[in-house]
Amino acid sequence: MRLRSLLAATSVAAVAVVAACGGGSDESSSSSGGFQAGGGSGDILNADAQAPAPPIEGAQKGGTVKVWGTSGLQTFHPTEAYFTNTTSILSNLVTRSLTQYRYNPDKKAMELVPDLATDLGQHNSDFTEWTFTIRDGIKWQDGSDMTMDDLVRGIKASFDNFADGAFPNGATYSKDYFKGGTWKGPYTDPSGDCNCISVDGRDITIKMARPFPDMPYWGSFPAMGPLPKAADSGDPSAYALNPWSTGPYKFKSFDPGTSRLTLVRNEFWDPNTDPGRHDYPDEWDFDVDRGDPTVLDRTLLEDQGDAQTALSYDNIQQSSRDQAEGSGRLLTGPSPCTIFWYTDTRKPEWQNVEVRKALGTAWNYDDEKLAAGQAVGLTSIPGTMIMPPGLPGRKNPPFDVLGNGGQGTGDPQKAKQMLQDAGALNTQVTFLFDASDPTWVDRKNVIVKALQAAGFDPQPRAVPNADKFQELMQDPDAPINLRYLGWCSDWPSGSSWFGPVFSTDGCCNYSYLSLPKIDQKIKDIESLPAEEQAPKWGDLDQEIMTDYYPVLIDYYTADAMLHGSKIGGMNNDEVRGMPTLGDIWIKQ
Amino acid sequence: MSLPPLEAEEALHHADELPETVSEDAIHGRSPMQIAFERLRHDKVAIVSAAVVLFFILVAIFAPLICKAFGVELRAYPGSEIIDINTTFGKVGPPDHGFTWDHPLGVEKGTGNDLLAEWVYGCRTSLMVASIATILSTVIGILVGLVGGFSYGWLDRGLTFVVDLFLSFPFILGALTLSPIIYSHWAGDADKLGVAQFWALIGVLTLFTWMPLARLIRGEVFSLREREFIMAARVIGVPTRRILFRELLPNLIAPIVIFFSLSLPLLVTAEAGFAFLGIGLTERPSWGQTINKAVPYFDQFPLWLWAPVLGVMALVLALNLLGDSVRDSFDPKTRR
Repeated sequence: MRLRSLLAATSVAAVAVVAACGGGSDESSSSSGGFQAGGGSGDILNADAQAPAPPIEGAQKGGTVKVWGTSGLQTFHPTEAYFTNTTSILSNLVTRSLTQYRYNPDKKAMELVPDLATDLGQHNSDFTEWTFTIRDGIKWQDGSDMTMDDLVRGIKASFDNFADGAFPNGATYSKDYFKGGTWKGPYTDPSGDCNCISVDGRDITIKMARPFPDMPYWGSFPAMGPLPKAADSGDPSAYALNPWSTGPYKFKSFDPGTSRLTLVRNEFWDPNTDPGRHDYPDEWDFDVDRGDPTVLDRTLLEDQGDAQTALSYDNIQQSSRDQAEGSGRLLTGPSPCTIFWYTDTRKPEWQNVEVRKALGTAWNYDDEKLAAGQAVGLTSIPGTMIMPPGLPGRKNPPFDVLGNGGQGTGDPQKAKQMLQDAGALNTQVTFLFDASDPTWVDRKNVIVKALQAAGFDPQPRAVPNADKFQELMQDPDAPINLRYLGWCSDWPSGSSWFGPVFSTDGCCNYSYLSLPKIDQKIKDIESLPAEEQAPKWGDLDQEIMTDYYPVLIDYYTADAMLHGSKIGGMNNDEVRGMPTLGDIWIKQ
Repeated sequence: MSLPPLEAEEALHHADELPETVSEDAIHGRSPMQIAFERLRHDKVAIVSAAVVLFFILVAIFAPLICKAFGVELRAYPGSEIIDINTTFGKVGPPDHGFTWDHPLGVEKGTGNDLLAEWVYGCRTSLMVASIATILSTVIGILVGLVGGFSYGWLDRGLTFVVDLFLSFPFILGALTLSPIIYSHWAGDADKLGVAQFWALIGVLTLFTWMPLARLIRGEVFSLREREFIMAARVIGVPTRRILFRELLPNLIAPIVIFFSLSLPLLVTAEAGFAFLGIGLTERPSWGQTINKAVPYFDQFPLWLWAPVLGVMALVLALNLLGDSVRDSFDPKTRR
């Protein structure tokens, strides 16, 4: 899932996080900020969860929750919603899909539970056919029954998720894995069909073109839910202004211009059909394009009037950190992204893995982060593994190829020795920095200083603004050999990491690593059952980092969000890097 | 503001007839410069302003020595050594700790750079950029004004058009447009980029500040060139270049000095403003950059912002007051 905002979150403003979402399992999210970087075990699936959802202790009904932010809102069309904020709002409050995530207070982590389906799906032996049994009694917001046709319509719409289709920004898993992926979808090619979905009574069966053990995760996206017949008539962008609800709340008003959204109760939602959602507040009032984030922090910290019943899903500003940590109203927890410096392994200077490791040894992790203005230990966590904390399969304790824990100020002597041994002194390191951003200039100076001390020849290239920076970073032909980009998982599994980022034909393989051996391993693991995959991904992580070191792990992102004193039930949704909206209640 | 030409000429050519302001003893010839300096010496505001300006000039010239004397280093990036990882402010000095001589103005948030060193070198950048740009724009203004004013016909019309063209061009927009072009040209080499930025900034500032002086000079030359002494010079065949620089230029000293002293502070603020907008210098310290970085943290660390702001304010105020005094002292109409 994409990061909620690429521009507004200043602490990561300079990182192009290509795709995001997904996350972890058994992490605690205490407000001390010191959550562990341990490994998840993959027990995130809970197929037996029963409706209704277990009540939250002490929760009260009523009141209006205000949600404040600064990053605005993208499309609310269920098929296209692919940003952490819109997905979270739709999934937790408005639209239902095959599966869903809910917060498990005992494990203090999210778990995947059934939603429209009665379980997490039944599959054949090689994961090429998935069957979901759909519950009775699901109603649309006008009281009419949600039919199986509605569900098929919704799932088929996701075939229109491609660059020139009706939903250019949606997730493309349907096209990637389902049978008939070449079909351009019902809006672009109304006469065609994927011929991949069959319905038998309340059972819906989806046929895959290749093994897809992660289907239950994809099933949690709003795109894997129903669309009413009304959504078919007319422009999808009109439907995106008022998507029909099957969940506990429905749209009352939505103004995309000002990013104001009001949700009210949907009386046709029956909690006895839903194992995940709660409906404590009467109303939701989203105002998430409020301008200055520093002012937003201050308003929430002062906790007067409206602010008492408000929460923010934006990370706090570094300048508010002290006060926020002292307020007792700061929610912290892991979020599912790793920020890398990718070495361009196509370039001759990076051919020798020892030279790449020398870069990681010389790197001044601490000063770089401080210069970048990151809240080290709060919204930026040092690390040594590709997979961020909370991802099932992460080693515990994590392996550490360079022995520096991904932190410290670098070891220039050791790095110089490594370079000397490799005969690669004065290796050119070219990277971009945004000259319009003073923190990037400082950061660049720190990097240059550290690399020079270690015998590299750092060559920073100035770009005039953040847009150009983003553009060039993702340009495979840019004249640089070190790229600064992040990756966030779409769901908590290694399969949403290694395929896209480290296989030859991965969408976002910015280290340009191309090794048939690794490609084959990724394919092999991808076709295993989800619960068997996790440890294998951990092994592969270690193998890639030990033998190839294609990326320098800069840091893992983390959440640090403020809420008012009358907000209850706010926990960290580490899958999306959002608060657990479905559990929020107001202290009367 | 400008010197009435008639009096100026009299001042030069009939200096011995000048009354009153000259001291009472021995009557002897004095140039307008001498008279002006004599007046300036008695102007308290001018003396104080000059002292302040001199202070900043000394700070700029001896920046490395000052840093050495305080034992601070410019842009050492000690980051993790000196920064408290929780607050990202310094482990010593303001805002969280008391005053320390190690870092008299504290250290920069995040990077741990010493703020005194930033300030001192920022002063150097400000004055260097402002004075070089002012000198360049003065020279251009004088040349264009002299040539335009003294030539008849197409050359004058052409130059006037050029002046109008530059006057009508939006200054900030020009600078905003130029900076990405400069980056794309010099992006690959940080050292060259630093030099390119420095001279590009001076170039931009020069390019958009020489026009008023050129117009002023042209107007003065217009009236001077009809005067007898110029006519006489032309009649006896003095070469044009000699007329321009030996006959006309000395009479234009007053507007030039005034322009110079008033455009200096303007350019100091412009440099700081550009740095604040993110289109100024990045490869060397400047007050504008410090201000830009300090603004969000004013609540917690006001000194960070105050130091450069007071620096700019004091320097600009002193330069402005000095400029006013210089103008007054050159103006024969003010009798004080």
